[in-house]
Amino acid sequence: MDFAIFLVQLLNGLQYGLLLFLIASGLTLVFGVMGILNLAHGSMYMIGAYLMWYFVQLTDSFVLAALLSAVIALLLGVVIEKTLINRLYRRNHLDQVLLTIGMIFVFNAMQSLLWGDDPLGVAVPGWLSGSISLTELVEYPVYRIFVALLCLLLAAGLYLVINRTRLGMLVRAGESNREMVECLGIDINRLYTIVFGAGVMLAALAGVVSAPMASIVPGMGEHVLISCFVVVVIGGMGSIKGAFVAALMVGIVDTFAAVLLPQLSSMIVYILMAVILIIKPQGLFSS
Amino acid sequence: MTYFFGKKTEQLFIWLFFPLALLLPLFLEQNEFYVNKLTSVVIFAIFVMSLDYLVGRCGMITLGHSMFYGLGGYLFILIAPEFEAVNFWVYTFYICVLAAAIALVVGVIVLRTSGVYMIMITLAIAQMCFYFFSDSVEFGGNDGLFILMKPDTSLFGLAFFNLDDPLHFYYFCLLSLFNCLVFWKLVTGSRFGRIMEAVKDNPQRTTALGYNVFLFRLLSYVMASALAAYAGYLFALQYGFVNPSMMSWQTSGSALVMSILGGMGSLYGAILGTVVYEGLHYSLEHLTEHWLLLMGCLIIAMVMLFKAGIAGFLENLLERRK
Amino acid sequence: MKTRTLYRGLSSALLGLSLSCSAISQAEEPIKVGIMLPFSGVYAALGDAGRNGLKMALAEHASDLHGREIEYIEVDTEARPERAPEIATSLMSQQQADFIVGPVHSGVAMGMLKVLRNKKPIVIIPNAGANAATGPWCAGNVFRTSFSAWQPSYPMGQVALDRGYKRVVTMSWNYGFGKESLEAFEESFTAGGGEVVKQIMVPFPKTEFQSYITDIASMKPDAVFVFFAGGGAVKFVKDYDALGLRGKIPLLGSGFLTEGTLAAQGEAAEGILTGLHYADEISNDANRNFRTAYETRFGKPADLYAVQGYDTGLLIAQAVQQLKGDISDRDALIKVMEQSTIKSPRGDFHFSKAHNPVQNIYLREVQDGENRVIDIAAAGLEDPARGCKL
Repeated sequence: MDFAIFLVQLLNGLQYGLLLFLIASGLTLVFGVMGILNLAHGSMYMIGAYLMWYFVQLTDSFVLAALLSAVIALLLGVVIEKTLINRLYRRNHLDQVLLTIGMIFVFNAMQSLLWGDDPLGVAVPGWLSGSISLTELVEYPVYRIFVALLCLLLAAGLYLVINRTRLGMLVRAGESNREMVECLGIDINRLYTIVFGAGVMLAALAGVVSAPMASIVPGMGEHVLISCFVVVVIGGMGSIKGAFVAALMVGIVDTFAAVLLPQLSSMIVYILMAVILIIKPQGLFSS
Repeated sequence: MTYFFGKKTEQLFIWLFFPLALLLPLFLEQNEFYVNKLTSVVIFAIFVMSLDYLVGRCGMITLGHSMFYGLGGYLFILIAPEFEAVNFWVYTFYICVLAAAIALVVGVIVLRTSGVYMIMITLAIAQMCFYFFSDSVEFGGNDGLFILMKPDTSLFGLAFFNLDDPLHFYYFCLLSLFNCLVFWKLVTGSRFGRIMEAVKDNPQRTTALGYNVFLFRLLSYVMASALAAYAGYLFALQYGFVNPSMMSWQTSGSALVMSILGGMGSLYGAILGTVVYEGLHYSLEHLTEHWLLLMGCLIIAMVMLFKAGIAGFLENLLERRK
Repeated sequence: MKTRTLYRGLSSALLGLSLSCSAISQAEEPIKVGIMLPFSGVYAALGDAGRNGLKMALAEHASDLHGREIEYIEVDTEARPERAPEIATSLMSQQQADFIVGPVHSGVAMGMLKVLRNKKPIVIIPNAGANAATGPWCAGNVFRTSFSAWQPSYPMGQVALDRGYKRVVTMSWNYGFGKESLEAFEESFTAGGGEVVKQIMVPFPKTEFQSYITDIASMKPDAVFVFFAGGGAVKFVKDYDALGLRGKIPLLGSGFLTEGTLAAQGEAAEGILTGLHYADEISNDANRNFRTAYETRFGKPADLYAVQGYDTGLLIAQAVQQLKGDISDRDALIKVMEQSTIKSPRGDFHFSKAHNPVQNIYLREVQDGENRVIDIAAAGLEDPARGCKL
């Protein structure tokens, strides 16, 4: 591997890692604040991609379609929290697992009913369609760099919201002590609704931005879900910072293992996770 | 009996289920399918019950239990000669012991964690195992492998049943299920079981009382894994076919669903959950192509309505006035 | 209130269960066709198209069936191999199906064959390409109307040589069908003096291809040969294009790379060369009529999987017609099927000794969003059926 190719691979790894972070951030946020293990998180990613495809067909505008998809996802999240999740806060964690598995079934069926089962694709918008030459053979598409930057921006945004705003303060307080927050006269239910809605929207947003790069197919959510869990667990459940570090780590390890250790490439992220959990049973940055 | 199966609902269920399961093949149309279907439900219930013990009675949530289910089948292929009928009982013993040995090693790693982290590390290890068999040419990869020679079931020169006869095999599996239920009841009713319960409720206090919490957990994990492998071994023998999809996380997931649905930790609820889930799956998929939608909605409805699974709901209904 | 609705739901489900148990065969028996295809999950589109094709063929030939009705029993395999033996048993002994059509997924095919080999029902595989099904596991009652993994890929080795490619990288998902495809390519390619520089096996169902493609770029081969299908094919072709390799290193593939995926791949698929036993624009009457009828009936263009389902229907219809509606003699039925020639949209084909189609493999190039046939890569290609004792 010469140096130029090494750099391209590093870029591949970073870009994949950043996208993973975007998907995983919502999951870790919801778990951290609400203690809910949302197995249907991957389905939200899938819904985002399908909504994007649908609205691009309808409006022919990338930005408009992205905005519409994000808003619908947010509403969906709010509705789910209000009708289903909020009845389970005082119940066993396993009931939440069962509920979200039921939701996976429903979302998969809805996808098949609404949009069919053929693989779908979204074209890269014109203004982002160029590419940059890296070596004599390899080019890097502007869109993928745009997505990477967008993920970075969102990561920074999340960091600021959580550490610098009143909402973020409540989120942090809710993580450590639910009763305390309630005693302070804060409507914890509203906080939970907002956080869950935001979590769903983040997953859907990841689906939206990956739509032009990925293939939109049934079952795309479940595959992502596992990678997502790996990231969240390595980082420490509930830690946004952990998820960020872990996502980059998984992205880079996965990318290089694919080329350097092909025999192990299917297992490498699981090996990584197992090793980290053996050394640090609570993940890298658990609170 | 009355003393042994404590709750009224539990007694009622056992008195209803087992006689019914015994008689059912006589009423069904005489063809291979119904018996085979019942057999696979019974086998899966053995698997679900081992998970139910682990999750419901020990508080160890795993999403990697399917690894042992799959290993039950693959271990047989690994150790039995390909073209020779081996002894069923001997190999049952080998497989349970081997699975227990593997569980001992895995358990030492896995039990360092707890809660969500334990879910994930068990998942990680199961996925590694899944990919190992999916990628390997010797084990048939994704397409799976056939078991060419079914084992011979004679014991001390007496053949009790014939593995190739679906009805024989069904009754044998049903007996196994009953034995498993009795076994788990014995475990949970014993001193070991009571300490395990204390470990589940409050590990710190139990440690302070001088018990080695880790050992109790490890032993439970090993027992549950060995029985999961036993179920997988039966499944592999039923059709003589193993496939890595037995080890997929979806298999663990559906077992967990059945167990929660039945009523976590109630043991007999595992049978209830498996039967209801499989029954719904079977009838919905013959009803409509969009069975996933109905199935999903029903699962959601049941979570909302039943606070402790179907078993809990029935107990409430039957024992409310007490 | 809610509880009551649930009760109702439960009791109707239980009623459904008992009803389906008590469905007893009637006196004037229709011909029973069991369909075990995936209708949910990743392969759902393939299962749906195959079923449509099958039903259309049998509806078109309803008058040739000597008054026999067709009854369909459809079961969703969910592409889960561990369920395959159970479903196969259900169709065979519970439903007493005369024909069992399925599956898409090779693992499901293996589980199904374990139960159905040399049993009463006739098995017709409308897609799954595992070489073994008409190789070591071939059987008198098992037919295939699609292809073996070997068939579409083997001629591509020669195609690559003819174009002067000497050093090729091959790549596929790491599962049976993918491996068999790459081996078939390699077989003819290395026999003609070509060199496979590297064989890349991607864990299934991973679709993060960027690092592999970058790796390919660093090796600078003359061409790349791949097997991917469905969603993976879309992603691979898009990534290959996005990293700028399209037009610089020619991309060859087993035909599934551009089958049913062109709309999603768009511009990125232009110029890809693939080998397959079908192409949308094959110019014969059978294909034109089939495509028009299919589009009118189902409101979307036909694809390969629909063709394979259609041919399965034709095979059944022809056999029933020749036997004058009496299919009770199993040996006679198998004999008639073995000797039939199917007037398929892909061109006429007949069966090899192992019951796999002997068919043309077309060389296709993607031009303006369509698979244009530019040559016949191999005419009347027969699978070697290694290990089959028929």
